[in-house]
Amino acid sequence: MGKSLLEAFQCFLALAISPGLVGFIRWVKARLQGRSGPSPLQPYRDLRKLFGKEVIVSTNASWIFRVTPYILFGSLTVISLMVPLIAAPLPFDSLGDLVVVVYLLLLGTFFLSLAGLDPGTAFGGMGASREMTVAALAEPAIMLAIFGLGVGAGSTNLGQIVVRTLSDPGRTLSPGHLLAFASMFIVMLAETGRLPVDNPATHLELTMIHEAMILEYSGRYLALIEWASAMKLFVFFSLLANLFFPWGVALTLTPGAVALAFGVLLLKLAVFAVSLAVLETRLPKLRLFRVPELLSVSFLFALLAVTSSFLVR
Amino acid sequence: MSLDLFMRLNTLACSLVLLMGIAILWRNSLPAYIDSFARQSMFFVMGILTVAVYTRAWELYLVAFMVFALKVVFIPRLLHRARKQVGADIEIRPFVNTPASVLLAGILTLLAYAVAQPIVALSDLPTRGSIPLAFAVIFVGLFITASRRSALTQIVGFLVMENGIALLAVLATYGVPLIVELGVFLDVLLGFLVMQVFLYRIRGTFGTIDVDGMRKLRH
Repeated sequence: MGKSLLEAFQCFLALAISPGLVGFIRWVKARLQGRSGPSPLQPYRDLRKLFGKEVIVSTNASWIFRVTPYILFGSLTVISLMVPLIAAPLPFDSLGDLVVVVYLLLLGTFFLSLAGLDPGTAFGGMGASREMTVAALAEPAIMLAIFGLGVGAGSTNLGQIVVRTLSDPGRTLSPGHLLAFASMFIVMLAETGRLPVDNPATHLELTMIHEAMILEYSGRYLALIEWASAMKLFVFFSLLANLFFPWGVALTLTPGAVALAFGVLLLKLAVFAVSLAVLETRLPKLRLFRVPELLSVSFLFALLAVTSSFLVR
Repeated sequence: MSLDLFMRLNTLACSLVLLMGIAILWRNSLPAYIDSFARQSMFFVMGILTVAVYTRAWELYLVAFMVFALKVVFIPRLLHRARKQVGADIEIRPFVNTPASVLLAGILTLLAYAVAQPIVALSDLPTRGSIPLAFAVIFVGLFITASRRSALTQIVGFLVMENGIALLAVLATYGVPLIVELGVFLDVLLGFLVMQVFLYRIRGTFGTIDVDGMRKLRH
């Protein structure tokens, strides 16, 4: 009973916090750039407004265009049940490990690119092609990083990684762990469309990737996609925070431990959000042709992580 | 310092030395190369210090101090000055492009693990796990020297390689005798100064430090 309640709470948490997280990052960024910026609650208002608007679908669009927002949102909701946000061995751990989580994330990316191509507009196709270039380069890196993490912990099961890292905290200092973190962080930037790869705050046609694919969406479809991409950021943040720095995650389901874990999770998310905002303020956007360089560095980090966890004993 | 903590810190320092070497491959401005080299030497000093604290060998403190003075402060400063005087700023068109260089660095690291296997098997020191990393630093330094056009970058590549050799000495034997170490330092310093003189001569004769232009010597 307590466990299913926990799962429901995790899912609710991901749904409820993620728009606020995006709003918070925007707010911190605005402050860093000397603007007052919209309130962190603005994404919630945007979502409410979008859900109330009518949907306009191009006559050229097929069922893929209509089904993609639901697939994207659904896959992120399932992932939020599997990521250890608050407590470590989750009942849904048996549902799938880190590999499943990553490929569920990529399933959403895949359908979004298809949906970008579907109405046959120029921007959609351009965005889809760019997104596929980035995803194709990010995927080997993230798979290797997972492998490095899994070899270090002896399992790719999310709950097990957290439990084993907590039982041997010195391992967080090992190069395999840190390199896998660096690699996953770069992949996070690429996959969630953050600054050195894609600028989330612009609709400039020459640079956009994510925005180009969802240009045709409106109304509740757009709301679902926006919500899903906020959840994607939330999921990546919590993966990075809880797999690599698992302190605070509750190992028992006592109210005190859960409350502490909740507080620590919020704190970690805030730390990640602020560092991302600082990073985005300081970094210029990379030219598209330099993105493969960044991702090859991420791949190299992951490769070194695997060799150092696998070969150094 | 406990054995476990020593091994972890030592491996971390050695990995950072390797990473700073590889960082040179994916950046493309000469100031960044020099700074990466200075940072690499800094992590190298950290690696020596972990060994020094663990083994309580006073010579190693001295070695660490000399490496700091020479490779973190003195040589980078001279390099920066030389760079300003010859007016070189970015590495143009390396022989191998950036993504390929970075991936090759990964392959070189794997190769280092393969060739260092027998040496690791011979050693029973707690630092033996990092020996392949030192080999990897040597290979990466060699690769930088071979794949870049600018004479200044080639000097940096040589210095990276030298860092790798010195790291290998510290890891495999806890440091060679002090007199040998001093001789090596003098060698590096002299080699570096000679190369710097060459740098100015190349610049004076050809008007650029792009060594590709030196093909003209054949005619």
